[in-house]
Amino acid sequence: MTPAEVRAAQQEGAAVLDLRTPHPFAAEHLEGALSVQFNRADLVDRVEMVFPKDLPMIMHGEPEAIGKVAAKLLSDAGFNVQGHLEGGLKAWKEDGLPVVQLPSLDVDELKERLDEFRVVDARDPFEFKYGHVPGSGILSWTEAWYEADSAEDDPPIAVICGDEIRSVLVASILARKGKSAELVTGGMVDWVERDYPIEKGMD
Amino acid sequence: MIFKQFRYEPLNQASYLVGCPKAKEAFIVDPIEGLGSDFYVLEAADLGLAIVGVFETHVHADYVSCARELAEVNGCPHYLHEAAPTTYEYTAFADGDVFSVGQVDVTCLFTPGHTPEHTSYLVTDKSRSEEPWAVLTGDCLFVGDVGRPDLLVGDQALDVMDEGERAQTQFKTITERLFSLPQHVEIYPNHYGGSLCGGVNMSGKVSSTVYYETRYNLAMQKPDAGAFAEFVRDTAKPLPDDYEKIKSYNLGLIDKADLHGAGV
Repeated sequence: MTPAEVRAAQQEGAAVLDLRTPHPFAAEHLEGALSVQFNRADLVDRVEMVFPKDLPMIMHGEPEAIGKVAAKLLSDAGFNVQGHLEGGLKAWKEDGLPVVQLPSLDVDELKERLDEFRVVDARDPFEFKYGHVPGSGILSWTEAWYEADSAEDDPPIAVICGDEIRSVLVASILARKGKSAELVTGGMVDWVERDYPIEKGMD
Repeated sequence: MIFKQFRYEPLNQASYLVGCPKAKEAFIVDPIEGLGSDFYVLEAADLGLAIVGVFETHVHADYVSCARELAEVNGCPHYLHEAAPTTYEYTAFADGDVFSVGQVDVTCLFTPGHTPEHTSYLVTDKSRSEEPWAVLTGDCLFVGDVGRPDLLVGDQALDVMDEGERAQTQFKTITERLFSLPQHVEIYPNHYGGSLCGGVNMSGKVSSTVYYETRYNLAMQKPDAGAFAEFVRDTAKPLPDDYEKIKSYNLGLIDKADLHGAGV
């Protein structure tokens, strides 16, 4: 699909799945796009766990081969795939279409400014139980699409996971639903590595 | 570190991915047209890594490279040693230059002999140790054998050394630059088994160590460069089909259409 076609479909409610890695996504992406990790082995399973099957979807991969393959995999599995973005972010911007950033902060900044955020953990409950940022709550990656509308975002939400894969997905869902959300880069791996305080259990 | 070897069996060729899971970035080394640019794009994406650099150990003569295309679709540099005489632009490096993805360093180790620009890549995973872990030896050192020094004959643009001089350079390079590395360092070659880029003693095994090759690489057991050159000549396989044409394409001298399917 050309950038103009993708934009028109977005305005009709289609979701762009951005298959790039988290850092380039946070730096710049199509307005309203959702960050989804690509992998031929389990992309279909993961998308099924996160989104409703009838959601109209458009793939954005870079290089373009990734978008094409993802579109085929999901389409073959019965998802409502409308196509993939041709020409990537470059073509999108050349057409003057809107790009946005996902604000992000690292774990040092999060620790410093912990009281300015509502920290939300995108992992599964068993991982959260094992150790999480004190005061944080769960918005698991498999529930986020359905629960994001009711998420409180004052103070703004800081989303964390093990590294960045699930947190960027949840943060992008929150942002798409108009919530104020930031991505914690480095995730719990960095938090634990720095020996920052950990809370255990489900309270 | 994420380290992956890709083997293209029709030509017994090995290419590599070296990446950092934390930075989510990777380098590709010696990509081959037989697998194709999209193959590497999807393999890296499956590992959650973006390709940020494409390296070649040298300008190849026995297979068609897809390094230019892979670098172009990823919008990243195509790295070659500064002596590589291509007609197209590339990002030149010098001996000792270091390129990093996250915690992983790739150090350029100039290893001329097989070709005048040949470079091996020393891989260090700083999340484990400051010591190097592996070396991608290209067509300099194979498992059980060495790269042949005679594939440039007839290539006027590159004929800066005759076959004998190249063999001598190759012997010196392996002795002084590769066998001086820590003994535990793993060796990953550009070819194995039946590849025509080396001699009859090339092993089908796809990796080795400095320790093992120092002791048991037959060509390198020769006492001096002269005996080494003679051994390499006597144990060489036939020349690869169309190697002059393939080399010309990899240098940018002819178009892909002019290959008529050679070297893939």
